[in-house]
Amino acid sequence: MDKHYTICMGRQIGAGGRGIAALVSESLGVNIYDRTLLKSASQETGFSEEVFEKADEEKTRRGLRSMFMSHIHADVSANCLSVENIFSMQSEVIRNIHAQEDCIFIGRCADYVLRDSDRLLSVFISASPEYRIRRIMEKGGLSERKARSMMEEADRKRASYYNYFTGRSWGMPESYDICLNSSVLGDSKCAEMIVALAKERLGI
Amino acid sequence: MRRKRYYMAELRTPQELGTEKIGKLLIRYAIPAMIAMLASSLYNIVDRAFIGHGVGPMALSGLAVTFPLMNLSAALGSMVGVGSGTMISLKLGQKDHKSAQMLLGNSITLNVLIGILFCILSLAFLDPILRLFGATDTTIGYAREYMVIILAGNAFTHLYLGINCILRAAGHPQKAMIATIGTVLLNTLLDYLFIMVFHWGIKGAAIATVISQVLAFIWQCVQLSDKNELIHLQRGTYRLKGDLVKNMITIGLSPCLMNAAACFVVLLINRGLLKYGGDTAIGAYSIINSMGFIFVMMVMGFNQAMQPIAGYNYGARQLPRVLKVLYLTLFFGTLVTTLGFLVGEFLPDLCIRIFTDDEELMAIARRGMRINFLMFPLIGSQMVTGNFFQSIGMPGKSIIMSLSRQLVLLIPLLIILPRHYGMDGVWYSMPASDLLSVILGFSLLIPQIRKLKRQIAQNT
Repeated sequence: MDKHYTICMGRQIGAGGRGIAALVSESLGVNIYDRTLLKSASQETGFSEEVFEKADEEKTRRGLRSMFMSHIHADVSANCLSVENIFSMQSEVIRNIHAQEDCIFIGRCADYVLRDSDRLLSVFISASPEYRIRRIMEKGGLSERKARSMMEEADRKRASYYNYFTGRSWGMPESYDICLNSSVLGDSKCAEMIVALAKERLGI
Repeated sequence: MRRKRYYMAELRTPQELGTEKIGKLLIRYAIPAMIAMLASSLYNIVDRAFIGHGVGPMALSGLAVTFPLMNLSAALGSMVGVGSGTMISLKLGQKDHKSAQMLLGNSITLNVLIGILFCILSLAFLDPILRLFGATDTTIGYAREYMVIILAGNAFTHLYLGINCILRAAGHPQKAMIATIGTVLLNTLLDYLFIMVFHWGIKGAAIATVISQVLAFIWQCVQLSDKNELIHLQRGTYRLKGDLVKNMITIGLSPCLMNAAACFVVLLINRGLLKYGGDTAIGAYSIINSMGFIFVMMVMGFNQAMQPIAGYNYGARQLPRVLKVLYLTLFFGTLVTTLGFLVGEFLPDLCIRIFTDDEELMAIARRGMRINFLMFPLIGSQMVTGNFFQSIGMPGKSIIMSLSRQLVLLIPLLIILPRHYGMDGVWYSMPASDLLSVILGFSLLIPQIRKLKRQIAQNT
């Protein structure tokens, strides 16, 4: 059995994944790694944080521009700053953190990276589009149209990133241990269920 | 158990990239890359030399008109190769051996399918295609004779090239290199036997190519059937899976399109030469092209060596080292192409005699070479610049660089200049587009260097 347990959380934008993760972390007393992971990655590899941020925001190989990403004769795998290599470095950091402490990972395909761990709970948080749009509007002070397009863009980006690197389907139930709908259950109920399940399944 | 290696894992902890002396690193990384590059350019030279001397100058022209078609086939092969290679090294980095295995099986099936499909389509329309690429009544016989055999072995060509990419990605770059060099040596030997001893003519060159690739493929299969290897051939992995195929093709599409575009340029050149210089001029171009390729490939070797060094140090914000490796690669690149310039301008006969003794062909090739190589001292830096942008994670600028010299600037020149200057117009389009793209390159590179210097100044 692994020394430390991990909860990996995938989420749709506007579904309140971060808030739920915060409640879970409070209740279990563990750290959350989301964008802070990039900072750890940068410290560990000596690569600057911008490199990871850029790859994080990079649309994976879709569309005309990205179609030309690689090059004639160039060995794609030999390029240090290719999205693939950066993903590999980031994965190494995820494994190292998992080996050192109990924690919660938000996003970054951590559920796939740690798939062989026997103390892993993978969760996906979704919500109805109306609920998500409302939350995005409140959080960012945006118009409904802006919020909707932001949501669609984020869904597309996250799905293409996750599907490209993992070969699984982002947001589909077969990719996770449990999927919760926060617009039906509410944030605190979601957190409660995750904590209960984690205690039962992860031997906490 | 045999020691297992992870190519990506090695790349992920390249400590020496940040500490070792830049010059030492560059040379150490460049030598194997250059050997591999030179081996593949030797392949063309050997074929052309035996055909030029053993069969005749018209056969050389016949061979030249098949080149765009061969290029197109190689483009499709590299699509699957680059796509599967990238995906496999990604999966191996994640220790996801099952997916890597599936990718290997799928890529083999895909190569066979594409190879056979390409073969059938090309055979069905062989004569019109060859005419489009510049064949005439004099040369089409040679072209057809050669191409029918090459197309029959097309699936093996794809398999051989594809598996080589995979071997490299799976942590066996040395095995991939053995396969490359092995095919070159075998092809040379068989070329000599079939053309000089058996007098099979141009057909002999095609048979030699197919045989050496089939043997290389068999050797690769032996390497990949070792069950102790991280990825090996396995039953049940050959059935195509939609998402894997989609991913492989999306990644591989860009090198494929670049190659396909290059083939369109050769088409324009061949047709221009045919119109103003006849069949012999097409043969002359294939000689010049082979020679130019040697020097271009050597620069590419340096480029490949620069990639990890510049990329790592840029990522690690060791900017002075980034500048240093850039300057050093610019220097070596320019050195190599300047050498090419000197050979092309002052010793053209030395090169041309490798391919032919025919006086008419030699005269055209000599003039063509002198014009074609005019801007060579400058293009080294242009190629290095394009690659530099890619190494530091700016693929957009890098694409502009490589599209400009070989496509965007060259195509209009190839259409306009020959109308006014005839055959010389075709020759002059190449150095003209070289010059323009060098200017473009510097106008992108100099601001980048300034920016790096500013960042260095801020840090200290």
